[in-house]
Amino acid sequence: MDFDIIFGNAARAAFGPEAIILALAAIGLNIHFGFTGLLNFGQVGFIMLGAYGTSVAVATFGWSLWVGIPIGLFLALALAVALGIPTLRLHAVMFAIVTIAAAEIIRILIGSTDAIGLTGGPLSVSFDAGAFFDLNPYADGPQDRYGVGTFAFTGQQMWVITVGWVLVALVSFGVFLIIRSPWGRVLKSIREDQDAARSLGKNVFSYKMQALMIGGVIGGMAGVIDAIKTSGADPNGFRPQVTFYTYTALLLGGTATYLGPVLGAILFWFLREWIESFLRQLAAEAWLPGAIADFLEGSEGIISVGMVGLALVLLMLFRPQGITGNRIEMQLDAR
Amino acid sequence: MRRGKILLGLALGLLMVLAVPALAQDGADPGQTQLNGTIRFGFDQFFEGVTITVADSSGAEVGQAATDADGRWSVPVPGPGAYRVSIDTGTLPEGIGLREGQESVVDAAVDAGQSRAVVFAVGEAPKGTPFGERAAQTVFNGFKFGLIIAMSAIGLSLIYGTTGLVNFAHGELVTFGAVIAWYFNSSWGELNLIVAAVLTVIVCGMLGAGLESGLFRPLRTRRLGIFQLVVITIGLSLLGRQLVQLFFGAEPLPYRDFQVQERWEFGPWAVTPREVATIAVILAALVTVGLMLQKTRFGKATRAVADNADLAAVSGINVNRVVLIVWVMGAALAGLGGVFQGLDADIDPFLGFQLLLLIFAGVELGGLGTAYGALAGSLIIGMSTEVSTLWISPELKFVVPLAALILVLLLRPQGLFGVKARVG
Amino acid sequence: MPADRIPSKESAPDDRSSFMDSARRTTEVEPILTVHPEPGVAKPNPILTMDGLRRSFGGLTAVDIDHLEIERGIVTALIGPNGAGKTTLFNLLTGFDRADRGSWKFDGHRVTSPSPDRLARRGMVRTFQLTKSLAKLSVLQNMLLGAPDQIGERLWAAPFRYLWRDQERINTERADELLEQFNLAHMRDEMAGTLSGGQRKLLEMARALMSDPALVMLDEPMAGVNPALAQSLLGHITQLSLSGVSVVYIVHDMDLVSGISDWVVVLAQGRVIAEGGPWKVIHDDVVIDAYLGRRRTGTAS
Repeated sequence: MDFDIIFGNAARAAFGPEAIILALAAIGLNIHFGFTGLLNFGQVGFIMLGAYGTSVAVATFGWSLWVGIPIGLFLALALAVALGIPTLRLHAVMFAIVTIAAAEIIRILIGSTDAIGLTGGPLSVSFDAGAFFDLNPYADGPQDRYGVGTFAFTGQQMWVITVGWVLVALVSFGVFLIIRSPWGRVLKSIREDQDAARSLGKNVFSYKMQALMIGGVIGGMAGVIDAIKTSGADPNGFRPQVTFYTYTALLLGGTATYLGPVLGAILFWFLREWIESFLRQLAAEAWLPGAIADFLEGSEGIISVGMVGLALVLLMLFRPQGITGNRIEMQLDAR
Repeated sequence: MRRGKILLGLALGLLMVLAVPALAQDGADPGQTQLNGTIRFGFDQFFEGVTITVADSSGAEVGQAATDADGRWSVPVPGPGAYRVSIDTGTLPEGIGLREGQESVVDAAVDAGQSRAVVFAVGEAPKGTPFGERAAQTVFNGFKFGLIIAMSAIGLSLIYGTTGLVNFAHGELVTFGAVIAWYFNSSWGELNLIVAAVLTVIVCGMLGAGLESGLFRPLRTRRLGIFQLVVITIGLSLLGRQLVQLFFGAEPLPYRDFQVQERWEFGPWAVTPREVATIAVILAALVTVGLMLQKTRFGKATRAVADNADLAAVSGINVNRVVLIVWVMGAALAGLGGVFQGLDADIDPFLGFQLLLLIFAGVELGGLGTAYGALAGSLIIGMSTEVSTLWISPELKFVVPLAALILVLLLRPQGLFGVKARVG
Repeated sequence: MPADRIPSKESAPDDRSSFMDSARRTTEVEPILTVHPEPGVAKPNPILTMDGLRRSFGGLTAVDIDHLEIERGIVTALIGPNGAGKTTLFNLLTGFDRADRGSWKFDGHRVTSPSPDRLARRGMVRTFQLTKSLAKLSVLQNMLLGAPDQIGERLWAAPFRYLWRDQERINTERADELLEQFNLAHMRDEMAGTLSGGQRKLLEMARALMSDPALVMLDEPMAGVNPALAQSLLGHITQLSLSGVSVVYIVHDMDLVSGISDWVVVLAQGRVIAEGGPWKVIHDDVVIDAYLGRRRTGTAS
């Protein structure tokens, strides 16, 4: 068993594009859920539209990537408006179910054979992200690696990662600026008790809509990075569990905190990849009985996702405030 | 061993005929690595000009072919590996489409120098079937599907009513029902499916009891917030689904029994005995539960707990016992729902989760916490799902009930039969 | 500054005789003393006028008011037995519920599309029977939320602190004054969720005052509060009225009516069955019957 490889893999996942995508999705969700109390279970819908908006604009319509990216973000924004108008007045649980349903509707439509001409349907869509990689300052030869051991990236990956983490930092700072303001205070009051906010003259619907739009666009950014990273989009990558992973990251890091979603995303991918690598190494161990090795072989991913489920349960049981959250604050809820 | 059997007469009640793969490497160089197949309907109709596209695993197109006059196509591929083969349904003749359950994209692996046959099952509505008859058939299917949703929804709705818990893992109870019955039926002792179903109901009831007494009751005394409970059920749902994938696998599988059955004709309907039994059992279960809630002491106690648990407790009702029974009953019914759903559509790890959204939709459509509303909502969801296939492609059929849900909530946020809550 | 409209704590009157001396009070209260005490009577200077207001839930009529006026600048108590429709009436008037029919005027303007936030911005602020303090915000943050017209509450201005810093400072000063008055200054930076039930009632009332409302509607301000704190709450209510704010408060306990209210409206089964000065009303046979639950055969109006 080579722990260098395991840790290398885990670290690569923790700082790679997946973690960036998850971090952005979680920052958006943090605005919805953490600060405004909107139980958005359809965050994947925003990511999907960001990814598909960009991909389809470039692949199907042949436009420049620099046109495609705003289109992706605009579609995420449009989804927030379209989703918000009928649903923001709903009871929290109903809102959750409607958002999950809306994201599924979009996924089914995008992935249907009828949509092949536009989105590639079940075939997925791919495009040339050359416009982005032309700007790559990192040398990207076949031998170029940045990092140590298995914790190393290619030049292309380095470019995605650099842009991605800078984006995460900028977005986090922007979120900090608006949340510490009186505007952010209104969001929190809505989270605590929207009737109280109303009775104090706040237009709750309007604030929720603003929060939904901002969080949605940040989710869309996650999708854009995803599209650039994979040079395309596949409908199977946008199932409801993506939203649940996002919640896991957010809860792990700590809701309603500024750095929680970022730390949570890093930790989420670190742990998930660590488990998967560990199991893969374990399955290769000679001393392991053959039956167990056979069982593990090829099931590493399934098990590590199952661990995400287990982690959610344990997190809520033993540390509902996440790693950075405040236990006392959490207990105020129950009163 | 785990290949899904082809189930005749399963889907939509339409007589579908399979396209049988071309086995031979007709006209192809031996030794050439390629994918091929024949698009045909029955043994006498071959479709020409159907476009088949092959892409590699990264999504890049490798080749494209159109079928010849004998419906044959072949696409050479650069080397061994996994490929994605897709059929352009738009190039099929008018009135012909993919068979129910046939994806338009198929993953196929090919070894070096081999020809790999790829099957696309196409079919059509039997010629001369009037629209009315097809409509009648989809209504029947929708009714049956709605009943399955309704039965699975009982537990979700009652658990929500009595404890305020929104159980996102309820879909996995449905999946477990289907999977456990499959094991009893096909693996452990190869029991008759009826026996297996009875055992499944018992196992699922016990699972419900275990979840309540081992997890959710202690959590209630810890007074966790509603969101934390929801997240816990989401975690359980993920965990449960992964466990099913781990042991049962991701491949859809059917039961051994009752697959191929002769249809009985009732007026415009052609139904299998299996479907009649499904409907009869579910109706019996629904009526029993309804009577129980209306007439028995347990029913009164349940309604009292749903109304106000604290008040019920001080009036001498054993709230924990009521909730326990609700869990046992709800889980057992969900499991049974899974068995019936598995009979209809094969068993896979996502069976329950897919149903969960429709269960939610049904319960919400009717209005959260209203028993008859949930039944009516479920039937509307089931019907709209199936009837929509008269006009739209079956792969889009789940869009209709979900869209209907959003539309209804836009007009009546409290659901069709719900009552607005008071503020303050 | 609006701050001077609320008298400081030292001048807070503890018994009735002292605030009867207040010049403002005489001018405000005197006209109401001349009003004939009968249900639906017209008043000299109403701030709120209701007409044909009706709300039913299923078969149950919760509110059914032909005509009712609430006088400006005084304390009006809304009393009635359980289920009389007091809270439902509040909910209708403040936009938290929709009337089946009927209309009402607030401050001379007909309320056409009642939405809670719009009404609050126009000066009708309410509190709730079950207090809605915002648990995970500090007491000060709770107070600041009550301030009206904040530039920093607009999204475009939110990131730029210099745009809202001055206003925030002024609001904070005002909040600190109110917290001082309501004996909450020592809790200023605590989470509101850590306050006791009575303190939350105080906070909610103080928060409502941040916007200098014309009309404050208090839903059971004394419910579930210990007697000492209840007395202090009553004191605050009289102070409010002294500073020119109109107050309507719901109260269940008749004993708490006479001390501070200038006018009493009695609801039973959704209807106004009596109104008048406090001493008159609590000795009214109709009211006593309604409270004791005796069913009257005659018409209530």
